[in-house]
Amino acid sequence: MSFLVLENIKKSFGATAVVKDFSMSIEKGEFVSFLGPSGCGKTTVLRMIAGFESPSDGTIVINGRNQNGLKTSQRNIGMVFQAYALFPNMTVADNVAFGLKVAGKPKEEIGARVNEMLKLISLEHLADRYPYQMSGGQQQRVALARALAPKPQVLLLDEPLSALDAKIRVSLREEIRQIQRQLGITTVFVTHDQEEALSISDRIVVMNAGRADQIGTPSQIYNRPATRFVASFVGTLNIIEAIVVDPAANSVRIGNSVVTLRDPIGTSKSGGPISIALRPEAGSMAADAKGDTTLAGKVISSHFLGSVIRTKFDVAGSQVSFDMFNSPDSPLPQPGETVTLRFLASDLLVVRE
Amino acid sequence: MPLIGTLEFSLRMRRGAYSLDAYSTVFSDIQFRSTFGFSMLMALFTIIFGMLLVVPTAYWVRLRLPQMRPVVEFITLMPLVIPAIVIVFGYLRLYNSSSWIPFTGSTQGTNMLLVFSYITLSLPYMYRSVDTAMRTIDVRTLTEAAEILGAKWPTILFRCIFPNVMSGVLSGAFITFAIVMGEFTMAALLNRPAFGPYLQLIGANRAYEPAALAVIAFAITWLSMGLLQLVSRFGKFAPSRP
Repeated sequence: MSFLVLENIKKSFGATAVVKDFSMSIEKGEFVSFLGPSGCGKTTVLRMIAGFESPSDGTIVINGRNQNGLKTSQRNIGMVFQAYALFPNMTVADNVAFGLKVAGKPKEEIGARVNEMLKLISLEHLADRYPYQMSGGQQQRVALARALAPKPQVLLLDEPLSALDAKIRVSLREEIRQIQRQLGITTVFVTHDQEEALSISDRIVVMNAGRADQIGTPSQIYNRPATRFVASFVGTLNIIEAIVVDPAANSVRIGNSVVTLRDPIGTSKSGGPISIALRPEAGSMAADAKGDTTLAGKVISSHFLGSVIRTKFDVAGSQVSFDMFNSPDSPLPQPGETVTLRFLASDLLVVRE
Repeated sequence: MPLIGTLEFSLRMRRGAYSLDAYSTVFSDIQFRSTFGFSMLMALFTIIFGMLLVVPTAYWVRLRLPQMRPVVEFITLMPLVIPAIVIVFGYLRLYNSSSWIPFTGSTQGTNMLLVFSYITLSLPYMYRSVDTAMRTIDVRTLTEAAEILGAKWPTILFRCIFPNVMSGVLSGAFITFAIVMGEFTMAALLNRPAFGPYLQLIGANRAYEPAALAVIAFAITWLSMGLLQLVSRFGKFAPSRP
């Protein structure tokens, strides 16, 4: 049985259903990210795992024990909050020791564990500082050490990087992941930043309107989005509207071109509309580019972004954006120009609504 | 000017020269010491029990019943609207020696009733100062952080919340102290030997001593206000905020 099991979780606040039938299993030591826009229910699921909210229906099982009815203080869970939530009246060492003191651990054990935790976050030299004497990044590392000190069975991270500046975010997310791997602790990370989720997770749950639209590895989520929402939320996938030509042969019409897809079209009937996704880095304008499929497109705009040139095209009424590596010898495509776009048919994905 | 006049008058007890005679008379008066001591003790109990009532209430309202905040604020403002004499007559009707709860039937009971009265009178100031201090910290997140680390309610309240609203608690305590030391109506009508009735008694029967007492009373108030400023200015902890 998985270490953390969420089974048919539902949560309503009054008449508003915030989480609708959410189920998933998380293995021991796994790093899972809940990714989604504001209001999709990701934080509510996290708060239900923590015990701050009770599910309206469904069960939460951690290490074989049903958590329904257990108080937050009885769950042995560590949590890092977006707002740090360090106790302002306590020093760094006292903050880290808090959970151990509450648990009634012996003084020597507390001292040793606090030192161990401060070493883990490389802040041993700031043990006597108060939170207000530290930077945001340092405070969040202390919050992480405090959450880990009592050896929790699950670590919950509620958008812990949102309040930090871009540079610190990147370094701290790598540090979090490295510490998580080192300790092998089962971790649930909530974020609305796709890059964050893609870079540090074992698996990602993309949530939309209280449901998990897709659960998969970062690669699966990015390369094989299951729904239009996942395709649009993760990365900058292009959605092309096409017409089914022959469902049995998986062929569709995009403008005047007929393309054969690798993915099965499913239940769509001949002549019916179908949405196809294409990653921006999958296409090229170069004549020698690898690709078994071509489409004609009209350049709408072209932007030089340093290493990459982002060009928007009109392809049979759909706007398609391609990112191509910068080549000093190639001129920037000009708006109004009609070009041939090359890509592999296997890069075209059928997306569900 | 009136204050300077009072101070100057309090120093003129000895004919033809300035002296502290009025002050030494006051300080050597056994009644001064007993009433001052009594009021100090009452102030201490008022502060302790008042804070034990106000801090958890303000905390709970912020955490769980934010919609009740206007109602609680209105209730705490009532003592400013209802005169003290009305409150004390209400107490006497409710808690007289022939009632179900005969507080006035014994000295200790009456003292308890006096403390309750003082708590009522100081509620507008105590509640506001504590509530303002709570506004500066993220009560909900701190509570959740403590809870998930295994802390129970007494630990959360006394180790995580109380120390962080200490400036508010102390501000409320000093204001309460100043109110209790000068309060007359409650103590007089409950017939307790407090400092307020003593001030009135001396004022009605002596010449220079009332001026000295007025200066002492002002000094106590100023000292309380000075301490209040000191506490709010040197509040040690700033909330940890992103």
